[in-house]
Amino acid sequence: MRRTLFAACASLALAAPDIAAAQDGGRMTLQAYAGIFRDNYTETVVAPFTAARGTAVQYHDGGTSAAMLGTLRAQRADPQIDVVIMDVTTAAIACAEGLVEKIDATTLPVIADVGEQGRQAGGECGPAVTYDHLVMVYDSRAVTPAPTSLAAMWAPEHRGRIALSAPPNIQGLALTAILAHANGGNWRNLNAAMPRLRELAPSVQTFTPNPDGYTLILNDQVRFATGWNARAQLYSDQSQGRIGVTLPSEGTVFQINTINLVANSKNRAQALAFMAHALSPEAQAAFTERMFYGPTNTRTQVSAAALGRTALAPEFRERVIPLDWNEMVRLRDSWNQRWRREVIAASSR
Amino acid sequence: MIGLLLCLPAALILGVGFVWPVVLLARISFNRTTDMGAMEEAWTLDTYARIVTDDFTWDLAWNTITLSAGCAAAAVALALPVTLLIRNAPPRWRGLMALMAVAPLLVSGTARIVGWMAILGDQGMVNALLTGLGITSDPLRLINNLTGVRIGLTESLMPYCCLVLIAGLGRLDSRLEEAAATLGATRSRTFLRVTLPLAFPALLAAFLLAFVLGVSAFITPRLMGGGRVFVVATEIFDLALETVDWPAAAAMAMLLLGTLIAAMVLRGVLTARKVAG
Repeated sequence: MRRTLFAACASLALAAPDIAAAQDGGRMTLQAYAGIFRDNYTETVVAPFTAARGTAVQYHDGGTSAAMLGTLRAQRADPQIDVVIMDVTTAAIACAEGLVEKIDATTLPVIADVGEQGRQAGGECGPAVTYDHLVMVYDSRAVTPAPTSLAAMWAPEHRGRIALSAPPNIQGLALTAILAHANGGNWRNLNAAMPRLRELAPSVQTFTPNPDGYTLILNDQVRFATGWNARAQLYSDQSQGRIGVTLPSEGTVFQINTINLVANSKNRAQALAFMAHALSPEAQAAFTERMFYGPTNTRTQVSAAALGRTALAPEFRERVIPLDWNEMVRLRDSWNQRWRREVIAASSR
Repeated sequence: MIGLLLCLPAALILGVGFVWPVVLLARISFNRTTDMGAMEEAWTLDTYARIVTDDFTWDLAWNTITLSAGCAAAAVALALPVTLLIRNAPPRWRGLMALMAVAPLLVSGTARIVGWMAILGDQGMVNALLTGLGITSDPLRLINNLTGVRIGLTESLMPYCCLVLIAGLGRLDSRLEEAAATLGATRSRTFLRVTLPLAFPALLAAFLLAFVLGVSAFITPRLMGGGRVFVVATEIFDLALETVDWPAAAAMAMLLLGTLIAAMVLRGVLTARKVAG
């Protein structure tokens, strides 16, 4: 009798969240980046959605986009995730493998408000939800005056105090594309970037910054690193300006995250509602104000201060190099090999 | 029968936790990757052919083998005096000394690497000492290169070597060394002509264990190599989590597994020959 009572209580306890959620707006699972992305996205996008609809959103830390793709592949037969936010190149793979649904404005009307680049980025699957871009970060105490060009890293006094991510990491690919564009007029012109990278190589302390370039700067290990703008801006604020952030005069490239509906989602209605909310001008504005990711919805209104810290600011927009990441994926292996044989080999310390 | 039943839980754990994932990995290795990175179901040896015909794979293999063999040999050489000291210590101290020798295993590998980074970095203890004493004017590059990986890997392999050697040397009959001394052999001669040959199987076992662990080491080359040290394990990581080429990652993992199994078989053959000889 006691055992039966215990089993009944346990079943009720386990089912309670489902019951509560079902009474409100149901539940769904979102997979996206961990750390400060999670913290800020939860506060500015997820929580207002839950408050408005009563839908419980379980946030699943996905790690990197590649790790998220791994989760989707592993759950193909029985998906536990409903919505996934991931890098555009990995999302394209998920789309090609049928792990995420093809989607258009008929299913998700807010897509019509997403800019052309954002719609094209996702291909037939989910559209862009955030824009980020490559920046140069530096130790503002050690590097004065504030640098405006990537060329600052080549200065002899900074030898050994630079952290770069080498390809196949996308930061390394992005930096290479920017140098190719600056020196050869086209981001695909790898031969134009290679001599500059070979010159820089001996000054590089590490090609795998651990845990990341921002931390290495704060720990006095390096003076320069490359980074993504949104996190760099946030870490700059948190470090009271110790970490300086520069959108280089040579230009920058977007890193695009897309939002996708997982194929055979068990909570499709809630998932679509969440995607509509995440792409709405209100949610986009809130996240931009908090974390300086560029909004993808063209109707988004953000303050001039926040916009000025994204690549969408009018003064920066012309510096954005139109890099096609799906094309870059096809070039990645050859760029990776050239880096290993010519750049890293030239950096022996 | 009871023995078989008692082995059943371990066999189940091994089956579910190792054999089944390896089978899945082997299956993935026969899939195909499109030029944009998507994985297609297939039964093809294309990925293996691509890996085997790439010169970089052979560079990786050479780097991995030489790094592991060098660090394994260094770890055995460093562990041997420690274990001899433990063996010759008074019995009441042996347990404590053995515990101290393997104590690094109680600390997570990542934490140990972070410690090494603090010690060997440009602003680390070693460089502060060297520049403070005027031995060098500029910091020595002791990390984010092959030197750093060698130091970190050797240190991480040493406790395993100590474990094997403590067990192996503990079985040596000390009366043979006493007999050599009685017959007039010096301590060094006794060590070279009696102790070392008798310890050979234990030394070989320690070396091979360290080598196998070194070949599959990932954290140390990744965190202490600064992106300059390419070994098979770091390449598998990049293929799986950067370029998302799972078939290539799986194929390389299968080739690594095959190499490790071959090394273990070789060890068995060598040990058997030594015993027979």
